[in-house]
Amino acid sequence: MPELIIDDIPAHVPEGTNVLEAARSIGITIPHFCWHPALGKAGACRACAVKMLEGPIKGIQMSCMLPAQDGMVVSTTDGEAVAMRRAVIEWLMINHPHDCPVCDEGGECQLQDYTIAGGHSIRRYNGLKRTHVNQYLGEQIEHEMNRCIQCYRCVHFYQEYAGGTDFGVMGRAGSVYFGRQQDGQLESPFSGNLADICPTGVFTDKTARFRARYWDYDMAPSICPGCSLGCNTVPMARYRELLKVTARRNDEVNGWFICDRGRFSNTAVNAPERPRQAQVDDEAVSMDIALDSLIERLTGFLELHGPEGLAIVGSPRMSQEAAIMAARLREVTGAGTLCYFGDVLHAERTLEAVSLLNTDNSTSQEDVRQADLIAIMECDLLTEAPMMALAVRQAWRNGARIFIVGSECRLDSGQQNLYEVGAAVSLAAVPFTEARRPLVICGIRHKGLEAIRDTAQLGVKTSFIMDGPNAFGCAMLALEQGAISFSEALAGGRVKGIISLEADLPPELSPEIRVLAAADWLSTHLTEKAEVVLPVTSWVEMDGTYVNNEGRTQHFKQVMKPGVPIKGLTPELHPPRIHRHDPPGGDILPTEKIISELLERLGAANE
Amino acid sequence: MEQILLKHTHHGRCLSFEEYRFSGGFEALAKALKDMTPAEVQQDVIDSGLRGRGGAGFPTGKKWSFVPRDLPGPRYLICNCDEMEPGTYKDRVLLERNPHLLVEGMALACYALEVHHAFIFVRYGYEQAAGNLRQSIAAAGRSGFLGDNILGSDFSLELDVHQSAGRYICGEETALINALEGKRANPRAKPPFPAIKGLWGQPTVVNNVETLANIPAIITGGPLLWKNLAATPEAAGTKLFCISGHVVNTNCFELPLGMTLGEIIDGPSGGMRSGSRFKACIPGGAATPYFTEAHLGVPMDFDPVAKAGSRLGTGGIVVFDQNTCMVAVTLNLIRFFARESCGWCTPCREGLPFVRHTLERIEAGRGESNDIDILREHVHMLNYAFCALAPGAMGPVEGLLRLFYDELEAHILEKKCPFKKQ
Ligand SMILES: Cc1cc2nc3c(=O)[nH]c(=O)nc-3n(C[C@H](O)[C@H](O)[C@H](O)COP(=O)(O)O)c2cc1C
Ligand code: SF4
Ligand code: SF4
Repeated sequence: MPELIIDDIPAHVPEGTNVLEAARSIGITIPHFCWHPALGKAGACRACAVKMLEGPIKGIQMSCMLPAQDGMVVSTTDGEAVAMRRAVIEWLMINHPHDCPVCDEGGECQLQDYTIAGGHSIRRYNGLKRTHVNQYLGEQIEHEMNRCIQCYRCVHFYQEYAGGTDFGVMGRAGSVYFGRQQDGQLESPFSGNLADICPTGVFTDKTARFRARYWDYDMAPSICPGCSLGCNTVPMARYRELLKVTARRNDEVNGWFICDRGRFSNTAVNAPERPRQAQVDDEAVSMDIALDSLIERLTGFLELHGPEGLAIVGSPRMSQEAAIMAARLREVTGAGTLCYFGDVLHAERTLEAVSLLNTDNSTSQEDVRQADLIAIMECDLLTEAPMMALAVRQAWRNGARIFIVGSECRLDSGQQNLYEVGAAVSLAAVPFTEARRPLVICGIRHKGLEAIRDTAQLGVKTSFIMDGPNAFGCAMLALEQGAISFSEALAGGRVKGIISLEADLPPELSPEIRVLAAADWLSTHLTEKAEVVLPVTSWVEMDGTYVNNEGRTQHFKQVMKPGVPIKGLTPELHPPRIHRHDPPGGDILPTEKIISELLERLGAANE
Repeated sequence: MEQILLKHTHHGRCLSFEEYRFSGGFEALAKALKDMTPAEVQQDVIDSGLRGRGGAGFPTGKKWSFVPRDLPGPRYLICNCDEMEPGTYKDRVLLERNPHLLVEGMALACYALEVHHAFIFVRYGYEQAAGNLRQSIAAAGRSGFLGDNILGSDFSLELDVHQSAGRYICGEETALINALEGKRANPRAKPPFPAIKGLWGQPTVVNNVETLANIPAIITGGPLLWKNLAATPEAAGTKLFCISGHVVNTNCFELPLGMTLGEIIDGPSGGMRSGSRFKACIPGGAATPYFTEAHLGVPMDFDPVAKAGSRLGTGGIVVFDQNTCMVAVTLNLIRFFARESCGWCTPCREGLPFVRHTLERIEAGRGESNDIDILREHVHMLNYAFCALAPGAMGPVEGLLRLFYDELEAHILEKKCPFKKQ
């Protein structure tokens, strides 16, 4: 553990920490552009200059390049170091446009921050600025090359971290260019991270450009609902519209990045036509009336068919809070069936996977990044859990051997760019004993229970790729509550009516079965069929919890208030002419609140 | 003045392989393989005092001694023939006249370093040199001086010629290694130095053409004889000086190290052209600070030149007469360096164009007094660039500020270049 002194403050840091990080650890931020914790050092921007006063190395040094060592005495305030850092800003500003007000990065730009911090305000260079031609990089990422400060982060991320081959750096000297050989859609399924990682406004999220400034955003820590991995995000919203989703650092889970599927997924949340208005028999009513009507219908139903005929149906899309409340609703109504999964195979596999996992063998994305041998079993990672593929790549870059087992490990979908694999005929053929940190990643979408049991019997760490952000939580509840899959319930022939809570069921539901109510924020065939439609909040409009595929419980916070985005309001509704407390479509509740309203009406709220 | 590099060679044509053999070629290699261990060859090079001819003057034997011999995997030797520094053309002259000397020198170096695969990285455009090398390598292979079990020993060596795609930065040894690996020619961070982790991650020595071409003579005649070829007791061996500018004979000469600048200009260079008086020169290639009349007595050897405030560099001397505007000279050099920056680090990529712009304004009579501050700051701050290109580029600017301040100031005060008519 090297001990060094930075600006008179002692710092103890782990071996291998650089001086820049050591300074961070004691609260001193040294300006930097090219260095990034996930990408490592480059030594390109020269903005992190410090003066080494004592120790093995003396004089001006780049703090990102220098491993902390015992006896170092570092000054970040030394006149020469400050002058060097100021010079770097002046150089970068020679060619950077002076039009922050019309740049989408303005307000969340590292160059802006350090230019202000470094005190560069007088322009001495009076020549022309270098200009570039921008490229069309697809519908998601905007390219404004004039804003580039040549920190090389984008290439390091795109090519090295993410294995992309269609984007890179070209040219030399003052005209280096970061882009593609030709205009065209970026091919990497992780391309959106360019917007997060570029310290200036070269890459911005095209889907949200010029919609708001950083200080305008409604934002909160959240969890991506796109798959079972539970990557950490910060969604950003304004005027009830989800504008964009950015990655939130979590070293155990997603690291610094997220995949494009998780990032560019705003459309469904913002859709004006998603269920936003409670309905009874296709008539718009208030939420209260809808709930009353449901109670009335439910009472009638129970009298007619008995509680046996009722199924409470949820899905791994729902938060853990809602899933727990669904079980409570079953208890109170005495419903014959509680379901969290539609399909029997899906349910069986998920439940089995969950019961095979424990604290010793469950596997985080970080475990995967640190592994030295990985067997991927019956899983198309880029489709089922894209960030897991990126984690496998990091292990591969560090020398891990990767094996694929089974026919579902498709290598034609871009995975071949991420890592090299060996094929093994079976798990038994994978040389686990030769490795120190081996693990298995097992898909459960395709192949049956055998594969899952095989996986667990190996005694190596295992990651099961499940379906849905709260599949793990729902499976735990299903085990505890004796819930069965909906297809099993149907086969039993008892189900006469259902209450759907964010459920995903096959469309060929028999017309004999009444859909008493459907609570959802997405339009599904169930919300179309339901007698009572109960619109609910999406994950960005509520607090909640998901349990990810490794059994990690992660909380997400409300990002924005629910309601039709102003952008989606018709001229009759905006500007508003009647005073109201809730915006149009704003009087909706999270699923668990809907259930507690029902429980209250059933006189069971406080039991 | 005894020569060893250009001995037996002819202006305008390449020595044939047979001529080289006839004049004693490959005898050093035969001697080493027969009578010497690799360590003894390396010791001779250390004892000779040979210093690198590629610009930095690092002691060659010492560089070799950094190479770990016990790491698994191969070691490599790379000959740096990127030679793109303005004013420097010695490696081209040598290879156009006698490529065999380099081939033999590399074979000896590889024997000393226990290297079995070596590369010659040749500048884009050096077609003749590359062709000569290929022919020489083929001929040497046919005669058993290259390939498997050279001269019946258990030493084997493969030599490959790689022609660069061309750029000045490819001469910087770590950028060269990247280029050879097929990557962008950006320098690598040091440490680790190439001697520990170089080509494809393996220990690698990078030496200049002229450095390696000296090895056969060191082995044949012994280190002391070679060392004493120099003009002063402190210096070691001979050096190729390439002279250009306002002198009578602009050519590449092999001269004893340690001759004074004045001796070189008045002797082999034939003095100044008629009507020209010596004003200044670049002493060692475009990246070195100027010398003036005051420096004519400086022995042209590594340490004395450094003590006098410049660098011996590559030995490329460019002479300027009294009518030369030193601001214009500096601007010309900076234009080259700004263009040749690899674009990796901020000080060089952005700083050099700033210096170029500032000098352009001064030369055009639009300079202001704070432009001198700008130049000074750049001389200071470009030391903190990623590689040696940027600090080297500021050599002439530093010289301009130190030696020709009056001339610089005159441009600004008179609002024109004093050397231009009207
Ligand atoms: C920008 C730059 C360009 C260089 N170009 C050359 C070159 O063309 N030829 C060369 O031999 N060395 C060149 N060098 C020096 C090499 O990096 C290296 O020091 C040299 O090849 C070592 O050989 P030596 O020890 O035999 O001198 C250059 C260095 C820099 C910083
Ligand atoms: S585009 Fe952005 S990330 Fe890439 S080099 Fe330029 S400033 Fe850095
Ligand atoms: S100083 Fe920097 S930009 Fe210039 S050549 Fe070296 S690494 Fe490249």
